[in-house]
Amino acid sequence: MILSLSWRNIWRNKTRSLVVLSAIALGLWGGVTSMALINGWIKQRTNDIFRNELSHIQIHSPEFLLNEEVDKLFAFDSVQNVLKAIPDIVGYSGRLKLFAMAQSDRANSGMYLLGVNPEDEKNISGIPESIMLGSFLEGSHRIPSLVLGKEAAEELKLVNYEITDKVIECFAERDTTLTKYLSSLSGKQFRSRSALVNELKHSLSNEKHNRWIDAIVDSSARYRLNSAVFFTFQTPQGEMQNAMFRVRGVYRTSNSSFDSRMAFVNINDLASIANIESNHVHEVAVLCSNYENANQIAKSIAEKIGHLEVRSWGQISPEIKFYTAFGDFMGLIYVMIILFALAFGIVNTTMMSVLERYREFGMLMAIGMNRFRVFSMIMLESVLLTFTGGILGLLFSAVFIKIFEISGIDFSVWAEGFEAIGYSPVVYPHITVSNYVVIVLLVILTGILASLWPARKALRLNPMQALRIE
Amino acid sequence: MAIIEVVSLDKIYNDSAVEVTALKNINLSISSGEFTAIVGPSGSGKTTLLNLIGGLDYPTSGKIRVGDVWLNELKGFRLIDFRLHNIGFVFQSYNLIPVLTALENVELIMQLQGVSAKERRKRATELLHRVGLGDRCDSRPSKLSGGQQQRVAVARALASKPKYILADEPTANLDGKSTETLLNVMEELNRDEGVTFIFSTHDQRVINRARRVVLLEDGYINSDTFN
Repeated sequence: MILSLSWRNIWRNKTRSLVVLSAIALGLWGGVTSMALINGWIKQRTNDIFRNELSHIQIHSPEFLLNEEVDKLFAFDSVQNVLKAIPDIVGYSGRLKLFAMAQSDRANSGMYLLGVNPEDEKNISGIPESIMLGSFLEGSHRIPSLVLGKEAAEELKLVNYEITDKVIECFAERDTTLTKYLSSLSGKQFRSRSALVNELKHSLSNEKHNRWIDAIVDSSARYRLNSAVFFTFQTPQGEMQNAMFRVRGVYRTSNSSFDSRMAFVNINDLASIANIESNHVHEVAVLCSNYENANQIAKSIAEKIGHLEVRSWGQISPEIKFYTAFGDFMGLIYVMIILFALAFGIVNTTMMSVLERYREFGMLMAIGMNRFRVFSMIMLESVLLTFTGGILGLLFSAVFIKIFEISGIDFSVWAEGFEAIGYSPVVYPHITVSNYVVIVLLVILTGILASLWPARKALRLNPMQALRIE
Repeated sequence: MAIIEVVSLDKIYNDSAVEVTALKNINLSISSGEFTAIVGPSGSGKTTLLNLIGGLDYPTSGKIRVGDVWLNELKGFRLIDFRLHNIGFVFQSYNLIPVLTALENVELIMQLQGVSAKERRKRATELLHRVGLGDRCDSRPSKLSGGQQQRVAVARALASKPKYILADEPTANLDGKSTETLLNVMEELNRDEGVTFIFSTHDQRVINRARRVVLLEDGYINSDTFN
């Protein structure tokens, strides 16, 4: 009955309680959604890092890790036999990794040249799925194929920009003056992004320029597939080698920095050009069925191949662990700040409720309700109020998160900024059951803490005096 | 043997700058089954005496024995527990809990005593029938008249099976008809079931029905009359 009494006491003043409940529900909705967005970004970034950049485990010669010297190779066969026998491994890929200077007909840039087996790479990497133009090292060609990142292609000026009718059509319904202006540029070609940006900057207002520039540039980009790119790199024998490749694919990940420094070629082509013994690699990347088991699997691999350095993602990039922990921590800090602010409202409501019922508390104490029970009743009221608001807030959040977990929230307006720091502009909010459990516990704790002051006030009552209060 | 024994009771309030003597050398013995009214003008010490007998306040000097327990020696949880199991209270302004039904108001005290849900429901229903409110079990106090609320309060006071019931000005807020009904109920309970009632009152209708009248004046017992 104490529980039922506490619940009914909350509804003595419906308006007051509903205001506090709404505040708690909305506050928590905001806090939990922020937490889910942070988690979503981090999860996505972590997945991207695993799929596109690190994999879960990497195997190198220990000497290669010191200076990335080209001659520190090892035989892929011996490692392959060990990896095949471990059931938790989804896939693996042997790679050659050379630092090279790339030169196109218009520009040059430094980048890593990764020699990969396209079929193996498809099992472990997201790059083949991130191809925006052309293909990922498919087919056989006299001049070996090259896959560049979008940024690298732009740096090497392998992109022309042209305002075509299709581009003009894209903006026809959005802005008429812009469409008119773009029509005047119809057919004109620009050899670099900066040339087009400068042209638009002179003719468009600041507001229009800031609003439309990325969309215009992206839609008018024409990548020059099949262009030749020369790479200069050192062979394991210490000689400088030149080789020509043709661009047959352009990829784009959420990390523009990665896209600017990683170029992919077929491992056999690179081995032959760089005079590297067949079946020898600099790196083996391994993908596990669950990234959380990577450390255990890495240890098990290391035990079987003692001469190589086997590192899990946590050892290669410890900051990822920090991101995840930090994301959870930041989310909780948000929720705690919100609950702290809400606690003042809860204290106020509970205090008003206690002050209005002094005589009732006096009666209850007189007839034999001890102070512990009075305290419990007030605490229960505060906890029930907070908990109800909290559950409503969590329900709103759960529905919101469920909807956008699938469709994602599009922050494309700031796409360039997001991609520059390696994050996708479309975020899929994500929250775990343990996050919900921690939040529910925090909500209950807030309810308990918020009840302490009003309860103390009631406990100090003298029943005889309280009964006289009108 | 008397159920309540008050021996050389003094109560002096030192709360303000002026010392106020509320009760002076009170000696009183109340037996089980009495229907006693403590009467007197305002400020004569009626409520103070009731509070002391009810274990809501401590005497400055003197002793109060209830059964074989010296009330003035009990402190904290033991005193609260003693009140819960031995004393019933009826207040001037009913003091029912507005969010509970009449039945739940009566049940509450039994829940505090740890009585099982089934048993307390049965007893609460019986008591409400006993005070003539069997058909209002599910009504909230706001749906009851003052007289009906006070009868619920009497049922609540009886629910804990107390040794005696203290009623502080129980009819002060009631009209004549309600007072009559309430007094009938209390008189019946006293006569048929031997419930001990001690009232503080200056309502002549209550005084007329009391079988013993203790008159207080300026903190002294002026007279103690058995009708």
